[in-house]
Amino acid sequence: MPGLPLTSRGLEEVLFRRGAAPVTVARFLAEVAALAARLPAEGPVLNFCADRYLALLGFAAALSRGHVTLLSADRTPQRLAEIAQRHGAGYALSDVAVALPLPVLRPDAMPGENAPNPMIPAEAVAAIAFTSGSTGEPQPHAKPWGALVAGARGAAETFGVTGGTSILGTVPAQHMYGFETTVMLPLQGAGAGHAGDVFYPQDIAAALAALPAPRLLVTTPLQLRALLRSAVAMPALDGIVSATAPLSDALAAEAEAAWGAPVREIYGATEAGSIASRRTLAGPGWTPYPGTTFTIGEDSASVTVPGLPAPVPLSDRLVWDSEGCFRLEGRLADMVKVAGKRASLAGLARILTGIAGVEDGVFVAPDDLDANPQARLAAAVVAPGLSADAIVAALRERVEPAFLPRPVVMLPALPRDTMGKVSRNAIAALAWRR
Amino acid sequence: MTTTLSFEAEVARLIVEALHLETPPEAIDPEAPLFGEGLGLDSIDALEIALAVSRRYGFQLRSDDERNHRIFASLRALAAHIGAHRTA
Repeated sequence: MPGLPLTSRGLEEVLFRRGAAPVTVARFLAEVAALAARLPAEGPVLNFCADRYLALLGFAAALSRGHVTLLSADRTPQRLAEIAQRHGAGYALSDVAVALPLPVLRPDAMPGENAPNPMIPAEAVAAIAFTSGSTGEPQPHAKPWGALVAGARGAAETFGVTGGTSILGTVPAQHMYGFETTVMLPLQGAGAGHAGDVFYPQDIAAALAALPAPRLLVTTPLQLRALLRSAVAMPALDGIVSATAPLSDALAAEAEAAWGAPVREIYGATEAGSIASRRTLAGPGWTPYPGTTFTIGEDSASVTVPGLPAPVPLSDRLVWDSEGCFRLEGRLADMVKVAGKRASLAGLARILTGIAGVEDGVFVAPDDLDANPQARLAAAVVAPGLSADAIVAALRERVEPAFLPRPVVMLPALPRDTMGKVSRNAIAALAWRR
Repeated sequence: MTTTLSFEAEVARLIVEALHLETPPEAIDPEAPLFGEGLGLDSIDALEIALAVSRRYGFQLRSDDERNHRIFASLRALAAHIGAHRTA
């Protein structure tokens, strides 16, 4: 069985920065060995560390013991307990206090004397990532070690990351995009990760200023927009990577002009990981990640990813462009993505019409859903005797917050076209006439 | 309607306007959680509120203020935090 070492980096290279303090690969491996020695006997392990370095340390120590890591970006106790129970987690690793019905360890470790770089079988499932679906029920996606390594090396090549590049991420380490580009990238590609948990414009600017150049910012369209609108002072950047939602040309142009660095996007999904990239302002063509193979048909597309056992179906419509690039031609009709989460409009409508007092109802996506990171779904509802507020309150108990409709249009009957089909356009006109 | 809005009511209106919520400002329970099972806000909303606060009250929210725990614990907590840090 072919194996790949825990890290591909040189022992003296800086792997991470915790505040101003650099952590070398040698130090990291010594901490991994020490932590691994005190882990419980049985995995899987639920890892929800907020500190990115501790998330990596815990993952690496668990991996070296053969324990699968369950990655949950959602830190609500209910969700964590649900995942732990469903997957039989033996313990959890975290720096955040959450009461759970299993042992929770803080993955801090003083470096031991030994610092081996263990070989991990490429086929071994290293992590399980989750997608939420419209009802919030977590769907597991197994990640073999070989697939994670291939993705990290693809990212290093694609984004030209060198050994000394500081990588600042604003996405949780447990989100697939964050895990690949801020945890796996330093471990198996290049660059030095930033350990801190940053979210607001002020956090991002202050953390970047404290890191040595060159600096790579790994973020989302929403945070890019917030950074630009808040006008906080930013240090020089060398690259910006955006994912989780499409980035508009206008926002990309504004970011490139403000910070003098190329803005690149990643196209991917939790099931497949990162699979293509583009420089937003260079045009609509996406370049597949090294080693991926796309199969594009009339009504469907799938991708074969190095290290994954089967092709992964995609929820977007793809069309070949010139020179091995593809364009995204919109999503397959029923699937929508809001706040980085995917759901089926029909599935949401079923939940809506299941509410007592609701006679009829549909969810509608705005025309700019794929271009406007703040866009929300609307709902048209027939429910005599119920208020819009009451509908939202009932939905709140049943769907992910991201999919709560804004606005809710209350109607005596759903508008239908001459064929009797519910008119999406008529509802959109009522919902977004402002 | 000549009475001065309480500061909590002012912040409630800021939230409803910034986020295009269906809930009327006066219907927000000042003690209920803004995220999750309370008002059902998410991280997009946290960024939006941070932007609206920086524009209206002249200061930036930061993660080391323990973002989802203390400040956003409730409308009351958020209003108190803004009241203590505002520069405008």
